[in-house]
Amino acid sequence: MKRIDAVIRPSQLDEVKQRLTGLGVTGLTAFEVRGFGRQKGHTETYRGSEYTVDFLPKIYLSIIVTEDLVDPVVEAILEGARTGVIGDGKIFITSLDEVIRIRTGERGAGAI
Amino acid sequence: MRYGFGESSKAWILKAVVALLLFGAGGGTVRGVLAQDAKPDPAGTATGDKGTVVDATGNSFVVPEPTDKTAPDFTANKKAFEDYQAQAAKEPLALKVADDVGHLRIATNFSWTLLTGYLVLFMQAGFALLTCGLIRKKNAGHLMMLNFAAYVFAFLAYYAVGYAFQFGAVAINAAPSNIGGALTLNHFLVGSGQWGFLGGKGFFMTGPAYDASSNCLALFEVVFMETAGYIIVGAICERITFGAFLLCELFIGALLYPIFGCWVWGGGWMSQLGSTMHWGHGYVDFAGSSVVHGVGGFCAMALSVILGPRLGKYGPDGKPRAFPAHNIVFVVSGTFILLFGWMGFNPGSTLGATDLRIAVVAINTNLAAVAGSAAAMLLWYFMFGKPDITMACNGMLAGLVAITAPCAFVSPTSSVVIGVVAGVIVCLGVLFNERKLKIDDPCGAISVHGYCGFFGAVAVGIFADGTYGAGWNGVGAASYLGKAGQGVTGLIHGDVSQFWTQLGGATLMVVYAFGLTFGVFSVVNKVRSMRVSKEVELTGLDVPEFGMLAYPEDAVEMLATGSQAHQGRA
Repeated sequence: MKRIDAVIRPSQLDEVKQRLTGLGVTGLTAFEVRGFGRQKGHTETYRGSEYTVDFLPKIYLSIIVTEDLVDPVVEAILEGARTGVIGDGKIFITSLDEVIRIRTGERGAGAI
Repeated sequence: MRYGFGESSKAWILKAVVALLLFGAGGGTVRGVLAQDAKPDPAGTATGDKGTVVDATGNSFVVPEPTDKTAPDFTANKKAFEDYQAQAAKEPLALKVADDVGHLRIATNFSWTLLTGYLVLFMQAGFALLTCGLIRKKNAGHLMMLNFAAYVFAFLAYYAVGYAFQFGAVAINAAPSNIGGALTLNHFLVGSGQWGFLGGKGFFMTGPAYDASSNCLALFEVVFMETAGYIIVGAICERITFGAFLLCELFIGALLYPIFGCWVWGGGWMSQLGSTMHWGHGYVDFAGSSVVHGVGGFCAMALSVILGPRLGKYGPDGKPRAFPAHNIVFVVSGTFILLFGWMGFNPGSTLGATDLRIAVVAINTNLAAVAGSAAAMLLWYFMFGKPDITMACNGMLAGLVAITAPCAFVSPTSSVVIGVVAGVIVCLGVLFNERKLKIDDPCGAISVHGYCGFFGAVAVGIFADGTYGAGWNGVGAASYLGKAGQGVTGLIHGDVSQFWTQLGGATLMVVYAFGLTFGVFSVVNKVRSMRVSKEVELTGLDVPEFGMLAYPEDAVEMLATGSQAHQGRA
């Protein structure tokens, strides 16, 4: 089992979600987060004074999948989230030891 | 130490309130006996009869008996009087009808004055939304409470003494004849005749002020005073303690606003300069560019100087930092509510719907508003590459403030010019305050109301075209500048003296409002700091001052970002 985390643009959430549900991903958790990467925010003026917006709003997705779904999921996120402009985000993949469904107590891949 | 309501001050406040109320109740009966001449008419049944019937140009239906036998037109007047008497004897029914017409005329004007007063009242909601939207989320509740309490406490101060100081002698030189004249208010406390400095009748709105005509005036005027009271919120918010703020409101409602208001609108000395010194039509401010907005704006400036800038507003390099508005939707809807309310503020200031100039006033007011906003948007676009939504709103208010004094005396085209100039003034004023003077004014109140209020008062002396206001402040009822029916006239239409009167009067307003406020509150601030503690300012004033947040769902985020507050993000 793998856990796939992705930081994406809020505007791309729908695209990504549609592609993932099409693949048969059964669950998906999204967080509204703020952060910066290499781009380091940008400056704006408010009533004549400059200010830096260094934490930009992003969506942080967390998806748990079995090994065979890792590549199609990554592909789906890349397709859905990519605009080609700086700030498209990143994908992180980590191994997962255990999944437990709270209602039934099931463990392992069946609990995903 | 901040202003809090400790145990000892609680008892003190209670005693003061009881004493004031007793004085008010007793004062009513005493003054009721003392009022010798005109009788108050609380029922409203004696206000408006054939004596108040006038034609469109102000000629009275009832012809008075001429008394001055040396007057050149005595014979003609005497004949007119005799003709009227003969006609009246023949047609008693016509006199009865005239009584009804007179009552209806006053009733029409009451309706207009009261309804436009309610519109002005609604401006308070606009101010609350506008200023709340412009500040940071963490102080939103505190700011709304300032706006709310301002209405409550300034109203009571105005009821107790403010109204009497401002209009206690209005019947002497400036009786509001459209609404029955408020004839019982006829005594100056300081000064007399055409050199009045302070009104002296109508304390606690009882005795001579317990009168339908007077109360109609009082309703309309109290909401104007409230406007001045609200203006200061925009400049002193996010750092003033609630207690100190209430003191400011009592000061404005009882003293600062009524005194200057008496000089200009209560028949006081500034309004009479046309008669006494032959300076134009005296100092003219139709609906309050200077009396309301200028006084409020420069009072706000003095308070803002005393309080100092918000923590973190200026970096170590002295450069101003942006504290962005937390809700632009509030800012824009608040501005629209203010525009709507201004349709009461300016056209209502005729105190009568029988004065058909109200249509011109309404158009002029709107034109200046849109011209001011357009100018601010364009100027900002050229200066910074994008129009700023908050400055576009400030531009509209700037146009409104500037047209408030001249709205009845100028043409629609002049109104557009006045609006454009105000839109430029407000933008440059905001930058000047923030960058050069280093006065922290979160909502631009000083620039919008102070600077544009000053300009508006001067604009009367420049653009007034003489089509309206014949006999204004008792000047030139028969003819002015050699022309019959010539009204208030400005520089470009041939009356230089009006320009100098306006410039001098507006300058006096600045010195008066800034000086008196600065003097009084410098002392107050020395006795007890008017500012919240550093910790309170950083976490936000909502919980420390009132125990609740404007947006409780943000409680966790608030605590987490409290440490970043000085960077203006929370």
